[in-house]
Amino acid sequence: MRYVKLPKENTYTFLERLKEWGRLYAPVKISEKFYDFREIDDVRKVEFHYNRTIMPPKKFFFQPREKLFEFSIKDAEYRETLEDVEPFVVFGVHACDIFGLKIMDTIYLDELPDKYYKVRREKGVIIGISCMPDEYCFCNLRETDFADDGFDLFLHELPDGWLVRVGSPTGHRIVDKNIKLFEEVTTEDICNFRDFENKRAQAFKYHEDWGNLRYLLELEMEHPMWDEQSDICLACGICNTTCPTCRCYEVQDIVNLDGNTGYRERRWDSCQFRSHGLVAGNHNFRPTKKDRFRNRYLCKNSYNEKLGLSYCVGCGRCTYFCPAGISFVRNLRTIMGLEEKSCPPELSEEIPKRGFAYATGIRGEDI
Amino acid sequence: MSEKKIRIGFYALTSCYGCQLQFAMMDEILQLIPNAEIVCWYMLERDSKEVEPVDIAFIEGSVSTEEEVELVKEVREKSKIVVAVGACATQGGVQSWTDKPLDELWKTVYGDGKVKFQPRMAKPVEEYIKVDYRLYGCPPEKRDFLYAIGTFLVGSWPEDIDYPVCLECRLRGNTCVLIERGEPCLGPITRAGCDARCPAFNVACIGCRGAIGYDVAWFDSLAKTFKEKGYTKEEIIERMKIFNAHNPKLEEMVNKIFQEVKE
Ligand code: SF4
Ligand code: SF4
Repeated sequence: MRYVKLPKENTYTFLERLKEWGRLYAPVKISEKFYDFREIDDVRKVEFHYNRTIMPPKKFFFQPREKLFEFSIKDAEYRETLEDVEPFVVFGVHACDIFGLKIMDTIYLDELPDKYYKVRREKGVIIGISCMPDEYCFCNLRETDFADDGFDLFLHELPDGWLVRVGSPTGHRIVDKNIKLFEEVTTEDICNFRDFENKRAQAFKYHEDWGNLRYLLELEMEHPMWDEQSDICLACGICNTTCPTCRCYEVQDIVNLDGNTGYRERRWDSCQFRSHGLVAGNHNFRPTKKDRFRNRYLCKNSYNEKLGLSYCVGCGRCTYFCPAGISFVRNLRTIMGLEEKSCPPELSEEIPKRGFAYATGIRGEDI
Repeated sequence: MSEKKIRIGFYALTSCYGCQLQFAMMDEILQLIPNAEIVCWYMLERDSKEVEPVDIAFIEGSVSTEEEVELVKEVREKSKIVVAVGACATQGGVQSWTDKPLDELWKTVYGDGKVKFQPRMAKPVEEYIKVDYRLYGCPPEKRDFLYAIGTFLVGSWPEDIDYPVCLECRLRGNTCVLIERGEPCLGPITRAGCDARCPAFNVACIGCRGAIGYDVAWFDSLAKTFKEKGYTKEEIIERMKIFNAHNPKLEEMVNKIFQEVKE
């Protein structure tokens, strides 16, 4: 990998130059406390030390709402409405979110690529940035705290600038075209980089092994935590819609008043909604709020075979943005026995009867 | 689609006529004209006839007089599909908010004046007749109207909305006034479809589209969230009731949260 240094005084010029590679998006403050990736006009508005954005970067590729095609019923025809995507640059993506995109790629690019996702992914330049974890972050436990690939450039903060890792041919070209802005990396820079990484590693709230989480979740399907926590859940779906790896969508056909033409649209969906599990015949395979609540925990902690990682990348959004104050991490730690109330005696006796196949409400009555 | 034109009726009960106006002003209505016969819709058709057999009857307004009870029953008998339109028809509207008795309300508005109708407490259309589909909001959304009619025209059935406004805040990239500023936003219990219009202007949702059906409006969880932010039971119920006065679960679920503390 190629490494270069971007001195601090060149940061804004560099950002300005990035605009030559496409429309520039970066984290900005959108309200008192929250951040989001927005189009950048004035590069001085870019936030280098944001905690997390309310919308994950997947929004650039898997759009929150998009028209898929237009149709005519009489002509039995449809026409894809995929617009010409202009190149764009997403600056300031944290490591966990880069892993989030890699997870999205395993779903939307491999085998049967989603063309709407693919065309945007091909046109998007990704520039990562280092960060210091806050109390909500746990990417260290998910092994997504350091991205080896999945970016064009990655900027690591130094006291007097940035140590830049070049991760793709596009990254090389960006550096080469602006070579006057960069310097060589010195021994001192390497020391500072190590120092930052050490401080960062220590700043995480938890340092523990989550290796058995997946199994414990399956074994503890009837743990009282599910009732207690799903009871206070609003089923608002914010945990899904802020998650960098939630990928479910809902489609709807909208017919025009001519009763002939129309279009199909898709939008992000949430497994916390009743209709997510609703199928023909009015059956629902996740009929209760508890079933739906548990589903997200099982989904996020299952393994993505291609990457060997869990679907959750530890960004902390689902806890940080939960209006009911539900802590995903605390609940997982409860299941793992790392918080109190992990193994109530009355439950452990019955363990053999529990687990997925025995969970109530999944297989119907009297089972 | 069959060549036969679909017959449409639009009836108004006690209301502000804002629902009809909203739809009558849509340019898309012109597309509908070749496919539809407007049997009754005074705002569009001077020669409207009340109440004739129709394929789709839209009803706006809350049932607020004896005469309107009879009218909705007749509409039901003569229509294949009945669609309740707007907050008044679907939830009884803000006029249902009050707990005061009818006499007192009557006096406040009309004094000793005489009118030609028999008043009743305002109620949603569904309290009197079976409603097949609903268009929510105050005023309702054009998009929902287009979607419903378009879907009916091709002989299919439009989906109901069973998810909250929160989804649309997140799709739209709004901030969250509930988490960030502790405002009593009703987004989590209110049906989506408005594209989170109010929160987009930093105004907490007041719930005009009504609480989500299918028993997935979690008044209790939201009351707990509000309580933790310092709202009293009365404030919470008052706010939730503005557009949900006839919801049978609301008070019971909010009370549950406040009882739990006393124990
Ligand atoms: S964000 Fe919180 S309250 Fe909303 S659905 Fe997720 S866990 Fe429930
Ligand atoms: S599950 Fe929560 S912490 Fe994990 S990636 Fe999704 S939003 Fe982030």
